[in-house]
Amino acid sequence: MSDATRTRENTAIVVDSTADLPDVLLADPNLSMVPLNVHFNDDTFRDWVDIRPREFYARLRKAPKLPTTSQPSAGSFIEVYRGLKERFDHIYSIHLSGKLSGTLASATLAQDEVEGVTVLDSQVVTVAIALLAQRLLVRLGAGTTHDEIVAYVERYRRESGRLFVLDTLEYLQKGGRIGRASGMAGSLLNIKPLLTFTEGEVDAYKKVRGERKAMAAMIDYFTSRTVPDRPVHTAMAHADAPARAEEMLRLVRATGRKVDPVLLGEVGSVIGTYAGPGAVALFFIQE
Amino acid sequence: MASTERSRLTVQQARALVAAGFRTLEERRQDVNDLNVYPVPDGDTGTNLSLTVRSVLEELQRAPADLDPAAICGCIANAALMGARGNSGVILSQMIRGAVTAFSDDAPFSESAVVSSFRLATDAAYRAVRKPVDGTMLSVLRDMAAAAEEHVGDGLDGLLETVLRAGWESVRRTPSQLKVLADAGVVDAGGFGLMLVLEGMTSGGEVHAVDPHVVDELAVSRPTKESVEAASLFTYCTSFLLSGSGLDARGFEEQLQSLGDSLLVVGDTAQLKVHVHTDEPGRVLGLGTALGMLTGIEIDNMRMQTADMAFRAREREAAEASTAEVRTQVVAVVSGAGIKELFRSLGAGPFVEGGQSMNPSAEELLQAVRLARAPAVIVLPNNKNIIMTAEQIVDLADKEVAVLPTRSIQAGLSAMVAFDRSRAAGENLEEMSRAVAEVVTGEVTRAVRDSTLNGLDIRQGAFIGLVGEEVVVSDDDLDAVVEAVAARLIDAEREIVTVIVGEGESGESARMAAERLRDLYPDVEIEVHVGGQPLYPLLLSAE
Repeated sequence: MSDATRTRENTAIVVDSTADLPDVLLADPNLSMVPLNVHFNDDTFRDWVDIRPREFYARLRKAPKLPTTSQPSAGSFIEVYRGLKERFDHIYSIHLSGKLSGTLASATLAQDEVEGVTVLDSQVVTVAIALLAQRLLVRLGAGTTHDEIVAYVERYRRESGRLFVLDTLEYLQKGGRIGRASGMAGSLLNIKPLLTFTEGEVDAYKKVRGERKAMAAMIDYFTSRTVPDRPVHTAMAHADAPARAEEMLRLVRATGRKVDPVLLGEVGSVIGTYAGPGAVALFFIQE
Repeated sequence: MASTERSRLTVQQARALVAAGFRTLEERRQDVNDLNVYPVPDGDTGTNLSLTVRSVLEELQRAPADLDPAAICGCIANAALMGARGNSGVILSQMIRGAVTAFSDDAPFSESAVVSSFRLATDAAYRAVRKPVDGTMLSVLRDMAAAAEEHVGDGLDGLLETVLRAGWESVRRTPSQLKVLADAGVVDAGGFGLMLVLEGMTSGGEVHAVDPHVVDELAVSRPTKESVEAASLFTYCTSFLLSGSGLDARGFEEQLQSLGDSLLVVGDTAQLKVHVHTDEPGRVLGLGTALGMLTGIEIDNMRMQTADMAFRAREREAAEASTAEVRTQVVAVVSGAGIKELFRSLGAGPFVEGGQSMNPSAEELLQAVRLARAPAVIVLPNNKNIIMTAEQIVDLADKEVAVLPTRSIQAGLSAMVAFDRSRAAGENLEEMSRAVAEVVTGEVTRAVRDSTLNGLDIRQGAFIGLVGEEVVVSDDDLDAVVEAVAARLIDAEREIVTVIVGEGESGESARMAAERLRDLYPDVEIEVHVGGQPLYPLLLSAE
């Protein structure tokens, strides 16, 4: 299988809804999405299918109890894989970090039921997965191989820039996803936590006080991990914080790095459950 | 007790007595728990007392019926010690231990034996507590012992009634003796529980020696939310039984002193009961195992018991952090409970209490450095007068020590924001100094004498405002001084002003002055924290 060429004609990519696919990608015929679920008490919504960010954050603000989330069943993956197999020979199913969700486990179970499926752990969340899918679609367009795809995902896990800032650690902590950043929690001073992903877990990057310092720290991170004159494939997402995201985009562009077109997205209901309103995330990879 | 007068103590009588005491306590256990605000509002005094008494009861139920009085008393004392839980339980175990020595001969229930048992119990309990405090079960028992000695000759029944009355009166007085009880609007839980046990023992399991309304009346008081929030600064209630030979209670107590509070080490050279509230249960157990065998280890999270979100958060953090690698620790000089808590929440500790004069000795700093487990320690003097002292200890310590010369509490806090314990000291120092450089600080205090400074006529007692270390304003009006200092701290670059208000009456007006800053600077985030520091109604920083 690894010798054959992978192209847009014979290969599909599957992501889950936590990729928070921007509209430009949603329409891509080679890309499919399987939703996770978000539960407000007894009401269940399929992420991005039944509930979009605007409604989610409005509900979240009013909810007396934080929502919970659940992974898609292996069955729903099998269904999607089987459907795709009618048109494609190969499927790459790329998901949010297996340390944060059982989604990867569901997909892995489904992989055994359908031939030609490769499940990969992106070790990140939200538009970082979308960005990875986009890079793979570009490769499919040019023709690539199984080994190259797997190698690229590994490289993406290793080298991509990933940083996000939260308004509060409360959601991450209550949701039990604070991971290696637990040492940041508990501060009585109001700090802006800057976080990253390390080996698929949320990890502390830096604590600062104040919005402007947080932005400055993110830009520092960005410039110190990129070089001028080569394109930087960049994605950004915000959780109900469009103004903050816009400011961030302005600052990123002001660095003079070749970032455009930037992949812009919104943090959907599942990731939003753990990030909380106000989060802004920046992901990039230079090839 | 009256019916068993002047007979040799038997196991059966002892069982009946303890069972009766246990019953009354157990019935009102929840009331006792609800009263519990001191020394830590963890709501377990009733449970601890009850478990301690139950341990005695169970031991007596197992004991052969033909034990002689001395053996019975030994058995009771030992069971109390073995079963003691919590502060109150350990103190009760010592009371029991003292009390039974009066009954170990052949004429147990003579009036004089009862009188001396109260005295012996009081002495034993006071010996066990490092800093005895009035308004607790200690003073309740002492007042009963005094009443007993005064009324000897009334006959056993009369005497007991008088003593119990004195005990209840003493319980009623506890709020006037201990401020935290008055603030919370409760009587002392331990004293209340002690009385329940004695009531039961003297009346066969019922409360009737005195007006039963007293009990209901005292039990209905409930701690307020505020008092619950003023919790101990330590997280884990740690207790265990240490067995060995040649054990030295005082010596071990000395060793544990720097690790926490509510410390109790009681027992003899073969067996010690240890109880301490600490953030470092592991270290406490380690010190114990160095001396002997540990049994009955209990580590309770008191923070969880207060059911407070913030505490839980910190708790989880502490638990998770203990598994992560700690490469650097921060020893911070602090002043005021709130300030200590702010530093702790940012990952600092161990601490040195600067006291009112903020002038700790090099030895105190060195001791705190020794307590740190990390290979490297950063010292935050948090006062310009401590920097030199701190620098002295760099070469004296057995680990890497660096001083980040923070000249104020505010600078120290800013440094802490940049601190990450998983990084090496050098890297931390760099980030922390950078953070300090970005902060401007101010403070408000009172002039200690008349003077002229920077063209300002300053009268003794007036408020003065400083920016950095420069006096920039003086006025009798606190608001005017706060506003003038804020005006100099806040410019277009500043996003956050942190205000730390001090202790006492001026602290309250300082808090209100700080709140007013929100109206004056709507675009700036004004964060107000209660620091509890002496002398400075307000500490400010802007960044």
